[in-house]
Amino acid sequence: MAVNTSARSQGLPFPSEGEWVLPVKGPAAPGGMCGPLGCVPTAQLATVYGTPVVAGNLVYVATYVGDSGKVMAINRVAPGYDEEGIPAWNEGEWFYPRKENKFIGAVVGSPIVVEDTLYVGSSDGKLYALDEKGNERWAPFDTGSKIWTSPAFEDDVVYVSNYERKLFAVSSADGSLLWKVELPAAIASSPVISGDNIYFGTFDRYLYSVASADGSEKWKFEADNWFWSTPVVKDDVVYAGCLDHNIYAIHASTGKELWRFTADDQIVSTPVLVNNLLVVASKSGVVYILKADSGELERPVSIGSSVMAPLYTEENTIYVHASHRCVYGVDVQSGDKIWEFCYSDIK
Amino acid sequence: MAELWNTIILEPVLNSLIALCTVLGGSFGWAIIVLTVVVRLALFPLTVRQTQSTKAMQTLQPRIQELQKKYAKNQQKLQQEMMKLYKEAGINPLGCLWPMLIQLPIWIALYQSIMQALAATPENLLNLSQHLYPWAMVSQAIPLNEHFLWLKLSRPDPNLILAILVGGTMWIQQKMVTAPATDPRQQSMTSMTTMMMPLMFGFFTLSFPSGLALYWVVSNVIGIVIQYFVGGGWGYLRTPSAPKPVPDQKPVPVRKIAPTEQPSKIVQKAAEESKAIKKAAGEKKRGLFGR
Repeated sequence: MAVNTSARSQGLPFPSEGEWVLPVKGPAAPGGMCGPLGCVPTAQLATVYGTPVVAGNLVYVATYVGDSGKVMAINRVAPGYDEEGIPAWNEGEWFYPRKENKFIGAVVGSPIVVEDTLYVGSSDGKLYALDEKGNERWAPFDTGSKIWTSPAFEDDVVYVSNYERKLFAVSSADGSLLWKVELPAAIASSPVISGDNIYFGTFDRYLYSVASADGSEKWKFEADNWFWSTPVVKDDVVYAGCLDHNIYAIHASTGKELWRFTADDQIVSTPVLVNNLLVVASKSGVVYILKADSGELERPVSIGSSVMAPLYTEENTIYVHASHRCVYGVDVQSGDKIWEFCYSDIK
Repeated sequence: MAELWNTIILEPVLNSLIALCTVLGGSFGWAIIVLTVVVRLALFPLTVRQTQSTKAMQTLQPRIQELQKKYAKNQQKLQQEMMKLYKEAGINPLGCLWPMLIQLPIWIALYQSIMQALAATPENLLNLSQHLYPWAMVSQAIPLNEHFLWLKLSRPDPNLILAILVGGTMWIQQKMVTAPATDPRQQSMTSMTTMMMPLMFGFFTLSFPSGLALYWVVSNVIGIVIQYFVGGGWGYLRTPSAPKPVPDQKPVPVRKIAPTEQPSKIVQKAAEESKAIKKAAGEKKRGLFGR
């Protein structure tokens, strides 16, 4: 779905200029309809867990339907589907794998686009690198186990983790393995890179800092539950939301806790930094605007429904996607909801 | 209430299941099998009591049917006579129910634990975080390895193998304990019930996670073994059907039960079964399996 923020703030009817809805159909899923003689495949709408990425005129989306998924590049102005969801491809649009009945594993993490290459990890355990036309840059890199996190990129190296407790560093030039490390538990959050370090949370309730050169451990910080959301790093401070209801500010070099703020519920969504403010949402639907240097609460904003999607910010506005199928624009200075758009009635 | 249930019943079972997975080298399939066996062994005294109560009740069935025919038009009298019969035999008609009621929450917890631990979607995995203990054995196993034999435990079995196993074992178990009825109408009803449940569960297996179906199969197999040894062999599985009434046969006159009549052989047999239960209960007080 494309939502025009200007049209929403003016309260114009949907769809206005540049707005569209695209039903993404998944594969005919085995096990969709079962009877005594077996299962009949049925087509179903795909779920999109990962955040779409916009690059040039294309929006890149990766899908999740049962065990299967596809990567799609859609024209961001005029997507190549009609209202019935039938492909009517525009020039430059593509999906991967190209054959309609071929799929990769389901995709949970977000794809990333660096220069002209898209990187995405999938539940089939493979890291894919695709060019702007949907061709493979190199043969998919097989990690051997499910990938449910997003990859990270820095200095021609792609970092990706799998559910077999491993973190891999893969050359972006040819997809060859540079190094891998095995951790005591699987990695729960997507990794984030800052300077020479990689930061991520694990299922044994730690936030790790490892060297991007060889994966050696620098420090680890223990909490009371998983660091599920992707940490944010700025000015030598790691801001990490945790399922123990706390957002922690941790010194990026030493791993020492600087401050913590306790929210009313688990923190699932990835926080954002806006100037000197840290904005974090709890699962219950309260958005907290905090002073980034002290963790002091500036103001809470009640959304009224569960928030699990990552927050996004642009020009002093925070965009919040709530679970009751509504999107909000919130002014970060005043905490006012500038607009809200609910799409549950849109077919 | 939900929180109390989670703390007291669900979470101990769930965490034990996941810890067991680590102990068994990360195989969740084996963890399901071992925990099902352990839980069934822990509930063994209750299962024995239930089986024996059911058996004692079944011994009385011919007498109950006689009474039902005799007092078909007088329900109050029927109830009185039946209670009298139970009293003579020393049987509590609810005796086979309460062991089942005690076991029920544990089965529900085991079912919920398997469903939650498999965490087929990101939302399921997120939900799991609220129920885990901070044990290293638990955190090391998350997320669980869902591959076992040819199965992907969080997904339905694409073959019919597991559905046949679930339906087949359930049918055997039911057939072993279901007494064939003499009344043709009741007989068709009984045989339909015996077929319907296995068919239904076999059908469910085609759409439920195969980890859950694995638990059903193991549980049924243990049930069959217990029934075999406690109930004395294959039970009614070896009796193909009840004797069919001859079409022109005159109805057998119902024998009048004199108030002073001594308990019949049937009642004596039922009383012996009942004594066996009480004896087993007495032994249980000394410790599990009499130790």
